[in-house]
Amino acid sequence: MGISTCSEAISLSKELENNSAKFYQELSNRYEQEKELFLAFAKENEKYVKQIERTYYGVITDAIEGCFAFDLNPEDFQIKGTLPKDDSYSNAVKEALAMEEMIINFYQVAAEQSKHLMADVPRSFTMVAKKRTERLTKLKSLLEK
Amino acid sequence: MALLEEPIKGIKEVKNYINGEWVDSKGKIVDVVNPATGKVMGKCPISTKAEINAAVEAAKEAFPDWRRTTPLARSRTLFRMKNLLEENFEELSRIQTMEHGKTIDESRGETRRGIENVEVSCGIPTLMQGYYSEDVASGIDEWVIPTPMGVFGIIGPFNFPFMIPLWSAPYAVATGNCIVIKPSSEVPFSQMRLAELAEEAGFPPGVWNVVNGGRTVVDGMLEHKDIVGITFVGSTPIGKDVIYKRCGETGKRVIAQCGAKNFMVIMPDCNVKATVPALMTSFFGNAGQRCLAGANLLIVGEDDKFYNSFMEEVTNMSSRIKMGYGLDESIQMGPVRDKEKRDNIMGYIEIGIKEGARLRLDGRKPKVEGGCPDTCFVGPTIFENVTSDMRIGSEEIFGPVMGVFRAKTLDEAVQICNASPFGNGHAIFTQNGRSARDFQYNVTSGNVGINIGIVAPVALFPFSGMKDSFFGILHTQGQEAVRFFTESKVVIQRWF
Repeated sequence: MGISTCSEAISLSKELENNSAKFYQELSNRYEQEKELFLAFAKENEKYVKQIERTYYGVITDAIEGCFAFDLNPEDFQIKGTLPKDDSYSNAVKEALAMEEMIINFYQVAAEQSKHLMADVPRSFTMVAKKRTERLTKLKSLLEK
Repeated sequence: MALLEEPIKGIKEVKNYINGEWVDSKGKIVDVVNPATGKVMGKCPISTKAEINAAVEAAKEAFPDWRRTTPLARSRTLFRMKNLLEENFEELSRIQTMEHGKTIDESRGETRRGIENVEVSCGIPTLMQGYYSEDVASGIDEWVIPTPMGVFGIIGPFNFPFMIPLWSAPYAVATGNCIVIKPSSEVPFSQMRLAELAEEAGFPPGVWNVVNGGRTVVDGMLEHKDIVGITFVGSTPIGKDVIYKRCGETGKRVIAQCGAKNFMVIMPDCNVKATVPALMTSFFGNAGQRCLAGANLLIVGEDDKFYNSFMEEVTNMSSRIKMGYGLDESIQMGPVRDKEKRDNIMGYIEIGIKEGARLRLDGRKPKVEGGCPDTCFVGPTIFENVTSDMRIGSEEIFGPVMGVFRAKTLDEAVQICNASPFGNGHAIFTQNGRSARDFQYNVTSGNVGINIGIVAPVALFPFSGMKDSFFGILHTQGQEAVRFFTESKVVIQRWF
């Protein structure tokens, strides 16, 4: 069943942020050399959750299309569980890259679908997508080290 | 999708809040039923005349001190209240979903709109400033002081149990008056929680009172000599023939916001992709139970190709609306408030069929998710070939029923809108500025939408209404509410 309501879209974004934070925490425990970077990513996710929720709770009104603003397939936006125990560092970083691309895609698609309907929510999604794009560059540079 | 946690567990008893005390009523007790689950969630008293009199007496006694409290101090109490409302935002929203049936997005929207009125009222130190002219004649100065008036009654409807009393209450108390709120006995919990937060915010005893009940409480307010004004939101027959009339007879100020039959005018140049979701919210949001809901869809132009493709989009999206308990985040439309209202809507669908309208989408056997009983559910319903002389095209149904009209030109569309006895929230969807301007200029409607399906003014603006949709002069919200709750005292001064 697709996601149509803003409440559900916000919950999905929260789930993606929380799960990807857990993923980065695991990376930080496993790979000491980039511990600080991965922890910073995890912490940044908390900020995104707060930012998006603040925006949603600030602009949601009965006059806009909260129940009809999205047409998202949640199966397109899922984060795998944990990393395999014996995964290599480069595979783990590649996993992080794929995850980031998926999350960025989520925010971009959600922003596009709701751009005429949900006031500041799509703007907030776009902002988070843009911020996360910077992560791609950082993660790619880890692979080149 | 799992349900969000219910904030009210078991069966909660509603009390009256009078003079800073939570008191039991001696009146009859009625069940409050969650319309989505069918379960009894509480007991609400139908208070007696003595109880409304006690509340008015308490408010009257509190008034002199509250009036003397400085506007800045009153504003600080409202700031505390605003903070408490934010802290309890989610609980307040879920209570609305439980008692009314609306979806969680809709309830949060209602909470936000209510809080916005408290925020605007926080500006009362400047909002209620008077004005001054020096030397209106040589050596004579003149100024006006907006002064509070005493005790106001606020009568709330069932469809927005949290927000609508807040169109009035914060402005009334901010300007130095005291209030007695009568929520709908079908949905008393939002106002009970709000009064708890008002108490926590520090309003002195007697300033903010809540008396639950029905006709006896309303009559008690209308008859009471110490109530100086009433705000009311509800149906046109009650608003016009009872509230407005009797306030006139007893010399009370009145704002009576009443029924509607809003037209959503569709021009062939509209942005279809953005318009259709807006129409879903307009016609089916809050299960159609709002005075700003779209009731009639009026498609302009003789182009059958546009008409057919547009109606295809509207019907497809309407037929996919997911119905169920609003605490499931995926639900797009909840039940109507009770079985009686559902039966009334079903009756109108039968009438529409008999009147010869074409039933394009039949909501009489809705698919309800999550195992909820269908007792209070009506699915999105669409009638085509509707005309103004049909009852379904002219009477307020207050449910998720769309009547589709056609007009050859925008002029004809405006004529159809203006022939309605109501004038609450007509809207146009177009990409053409000239059409939009002509529409807003010529249509007789208190609130006018341009590419907006729910024409609900934000708290800074008056919630307007014309013709049979509104009785009174000033409106709730914003500056007009400040004027409604104050009387102008003009001072002319000369010193010998």
